[in-house]
Amino acid sequence: MRWAREHPAWTMFAAMVGLLLFLWGMAIPLSLAPAPIGPAAGLFADGTRVTVMLTLVAGSAGIVIGVLAGLGKLSAFLPLRWFCNFYVWLFRGTPLLLQILFIWLVVPQILPESVEISDFACAAIALALNVGAYNTECVRAGILAVPHGQVEAARALGLSPFQTFMDIVLPQSMRVALPALANNLASLVKDSSLAYAISVVELTMVGYRIQAESYQPIPVFLTVATIYLILTTAFTTLTAALESQLDVGRKR
Amino acid sequence: MELKPIIETQDVHKHFGAFHALKGVSATFYEGQVTAILGPSGSGKSTFLRTLNRLEPHDSGSIRVDGIELDDNLKHLDAIRREVGMVFQSFNLFAHMSVLRNLTLAPMRVRKMGRKEAEEKAMALLERVGLKDQALKYPVQLSGGQQQRVAIARALAMDPKVLLFDEPTSALDPEMVNEVLSVMRELAHTGITMLVVTHEMGFAREVADRIIFFDHGAILEDAAPQAFFSNPEHDRARAFLSQVKHGY
Ligand SMILES: Nc1ncnc2c1ncn2[C@@H]1O[C@H](COP(=O)(O)OP(=O)(O)OP(=O)(O)O)[C@@H](O)[C@H]1O
Ligand SMILES: [Mg+2]
Repeated sequence: MRWAREHPAWTMFAAMVGLLLFLWGMAIPLSLAPAPIGPAAGLFADGTRVTVMLTLVAGSAGIVIGVLAGLGKLSAFLPLRWFCNFYVWLFRGTPLLLQILFIWLVVPQILPESVEISDFACAAIALALNVGAYNTECVRAGILAVPHGQVEAARALGLSPFQTFMDIVLPQSMRVALPALANNLASLVKDSSLAYAISVVELTMVGYRIQAESYQPIPVFLTVATIYLILTTAFTTLTAALESQLDVGRKR
Repeated sequence: MELKPIIETQDVHKHFGAFHALKGVSATFYEGQVTAILGPSGSGKSTFLRTLNRLEPHDSGSIRVDGIELDDNLKHLDAIRREVGMVFQSFNLFAHMSVLRNLTLAPMRVRKMGRKEAEEKAMALLERVGLKDQALKYPVQLSGGQQQRVAIARALAMDPKVLLFDEPTSALDPEMVNEVLSVMRELAHTGITMLVVTHEMGFAREVADRIIFFDHGAILEDAAPQAFFSNPEHDRARAFLSQVKHGY
């Protein structure tokens, strides 16, 4: 762990490579396991890939949403501030499952008939909006934590407001916001399981189906739980490494 | 020597809410001139300096820098900020960037300089302030005096015509004051225009060409150092000087 803290870039890289290898190679060791796991190894692997994709897509969109809405909440423009407050209030105050179902049922009705939207996309949108609402608060707190002198120095050097935000405020606020954002991302790995409700075949759904066929819930759910634990641990390692990477400026 | 005006302020006023911080400040600063701005705490020295690059917008009156009117026109503001560098009391180095990156950021972003050229220039400036071996460190790894010298180099990297200093040594431990002052002293001989808010009377007396004494948001005295220090015109200035002499 000490090595990981001292070599954050490599740790990040290793965690990412490990995650990818795990995803692509998972079917091989799993297929050696006895029934009901072995024969269904390919299904587990597919389900894991969907869960990871869902997390990555919704997670990155959620970061962008969080930054935009976090900025919006600090805007001098009152209607924008209202809108962002309303958004956060709405998505933090209602169940995620309800949000997923709502998007799944309502978005296809609003869109023109020619546009088809997949179940996966509906789940990703709902998850992104949900995690984005939680991210908004973290980003806002991070931005407020950047000393005003940093902004003044950048403006005095002639950087535009946009350059000042991108080069100075955002990186420094991320350093503050990262632990909380990482938490949200780790939750997202687990929250993505709710997508099973709209028939997205992610990891939990795969487990449910396999146990329904094999009548052996214990080994199946143990396998599913283990895979989730490996995923959340990999994400946590990744973000912890990123954190110490961003922390270089504060080390003495 | 022919004097060319670089900053001209005319009847500048500034309020913070109901508080009248600048009460009609008019002064002209000339190219190459080193001006020390003195005055008691709260007299408006920082506020005046900060109106000159619009970190504080002024309420009325006019400020012209290198012939450009400082107003709501963003083009004017950009042009002026490119010509005017600032050194802060609390250094304000970018905490998440190495020393080198602190120096190359603005030239690359604002002057669109290439990375290689910007880094060469940065290294030359770091050598000038005696910090060439610290280029890859982060601000927190440096002492206060070193940080302030980096901040001066960062401002110089934009090739400003004017450098504003707001109490550059006030946040430093006493043993580090001199290393910063000697960098400033060298700068003063290069022909760059300097406006220095300071409590370092020795520096003001030796290095400045001109002393401006602020009191209650206005310029009370504007004199050569020799005249100001030996024989100030106003009682307020005299009281200030005797207090400084005993207090510091
Ligand atoms: N942002 C602000 N909001 C409200 N009041 C302010 C603000 N900035 C300065 N002031 C007030 O304006 C007055 C002048 O402040 P300024 O910082 O210019 O003084 P100064 O001469 O630099 O003093 P010092 O030697 O203590 O730095 C002070 O009374 C201060 O309280
Ligand atoms: Mg001040």
